[in-house]
Amino acid sequence: MIEFRNVNKIYDTGTKAVNNANFIIDKGEFTFLVGTSGSGKSTLIKLILKEEEPTSGNIIINGKDTTFLKQNRVPYLRRSMGIVFQDFRLLPDKTVYENVAFAMYIVKATPRHIRRQVPMVLSLVGLSGKAKMYPNELSGGEQQRVALARALVNNPSMLIADEPTGNLDPDTAWDIMMLLNEINMRGTTVIVATHAKDIVDKMKKRVIQIDKGDIIRDDKKGGYDSEI
Amino acid sequence: MKYNILSYLIGEGIRNVFKNKKSTLSALTIMCLCMLVFGIFFIIGENVNNIINNVEEAQGIQVYFKVDTTDEDIQKMGEQIKYIEGVNNIQFVSKEEGVKIIKEGLKEADENLYNISPQRIPASYIVTLKDLKSNEKVQQEITDIVGDKLDTITSSNETITTLMNIANGVQIFTFLLLMVLVVISLVIISNTIKLTVHARRKEISIMKYVGATNSFIRWPFIVEGIIIGIISAMIAILIVGLIYNILLQNVLLQNETIKNLEITFVTFSDMFNLMLSVYLGLGIGIGIVGSSISMRKYLEV
Repeated sequence: MIEFRNVNKIYDTGTKAVNNANFIIDKGEFTFLVGTSGSGKSTLIKLILKEEEPTSGNIIINGKDTTFLKQNRVPYLRRSMGIVFQDFRLLPDKTVYENVAFAMYIVKATPRHIRRQVPMVLSLVGLSGKAKMYPNELSGGEQQRVALARALVNNPSMLIADEPTGNLDPDTAWDIMMLLNEINMRGTTVIVATHAKDIVDKMKKRVIQIDKGDIIRDDKKGGYDSEI
Repeated sequence: MKYNILSYLIGEGIRNVFKNKKSTLSALTIMCLCMLVFGIFFIIGENVNNIINNVEEAQGIQVYFKVDTTDEDIQKMGEQIKYIEGVNNIQFVSKEEGVKIIKEGLKEADENLYNISPQRIPASYIVTLKDLKSNEKVQQEITDIVGDKLDTITSSNETITTLMNIANGVQIFTFLLLMVLVVISLVIISNTIKLTVHARRKEISIMKYVGATNSFIRWPFIVEGIIIGIISAMIAILIVGLIYNILLQNVLLQNETIKNLEITFVTFSDMFNLMLSVYLGLGIGIGIVGSSISMRKYLEV
């Protein structure tokens, strides 16, 4: 599903963000990407999204080497991924329903398909009754659920979450993680970059740890720290 | 489904126009002013061209020979005239052709009233010049060649040359002005759209992450630019048309001096189609280019 082969990323400023990264994430896996701020986590995610180009090496996504992907094909690559950010990134002047439907408009879905799909996804993330509310009327956890619904509405084969619980209190964070787990159970590959040590320790999922650009650990059922 | 996307993109564009009323209004005003200024010179140019065209029909020198001149003499002199420096072409008009030309000038009904005999009509040469500036010199030389066989010599005079110069000047000036105004309009419209784009950069970045193509993101903004362009064009053409018509009816056509000069004016309805297409072309073109310029930076996600 996602394969990194000898990937290096050096920014124009000279910062070495990723050194010789090699890993494979299979279809249906749930993977945590852990590391301190500035360790290179975000760069890894940007490389997957093709927001950044690797300096050398190859990144293969769904069997296709994205290294040589033309810029105008990038939108189609991104349609196979749902993306969630720490700051939710919802449109404040659109309702919950519109925020989710928006993602379907963009991929040119039919109005009929939109009318059927949006309520389904909203009920999946537990927001059935809040379709007509605006983001500022919702709690942080609810806003992140809207973002999740938007990421999932086009049925992506993978879900990428960059610090999805960074702005949430521990209980809400745990709820969101459980939701991500549930989404993973339905067959979606899930990649979560996070700082949340307790959650990673509790969930016993695959952990890829990155430090100063090096992948220093890749445990099948690990915790946040290598000792566990 | 196609219709749905199209209406979404256009709808977003229209929404953008009304969301930023202030900047839209200022862009509209400035574009309108630019188009008004351009319109004034456009109309002046059209009228000068019209006058030139009218006068140009009477361009060239026509040499009439006395009726008793033999064909041989006329032919000989024709050869000489042909080789005068500055002469472009000469055309012989025989007595019979002369009669025909006069008859053509008369209305059908009048034709029978005049019994024109070719014997009373002088044969002539129509001499066209390479450059109207050599007019006087050529006239002098022709007079010398023809000598006492000359009946009359008619020609366009100095006013033509002056008019031609004015026409050229107006054309060049209008073109330069157009360039300047296009640049001003481009800057204004791209700034206006930049404001919208900037206000919606978050939305654009979300669109990029969800997998929207660049053209999908760009279209609403281009539509916004086009709408501003079209509205400006419409307002400008309306104002220009109204003012010109009022000016034409109440001043230009009433003025005695102008009447005496026998100048004809182009009516606004004659120019309307051309002006409308020029204005719409400008408005739409500036809208598209302006918004494309302002979008470039924000599409690099």
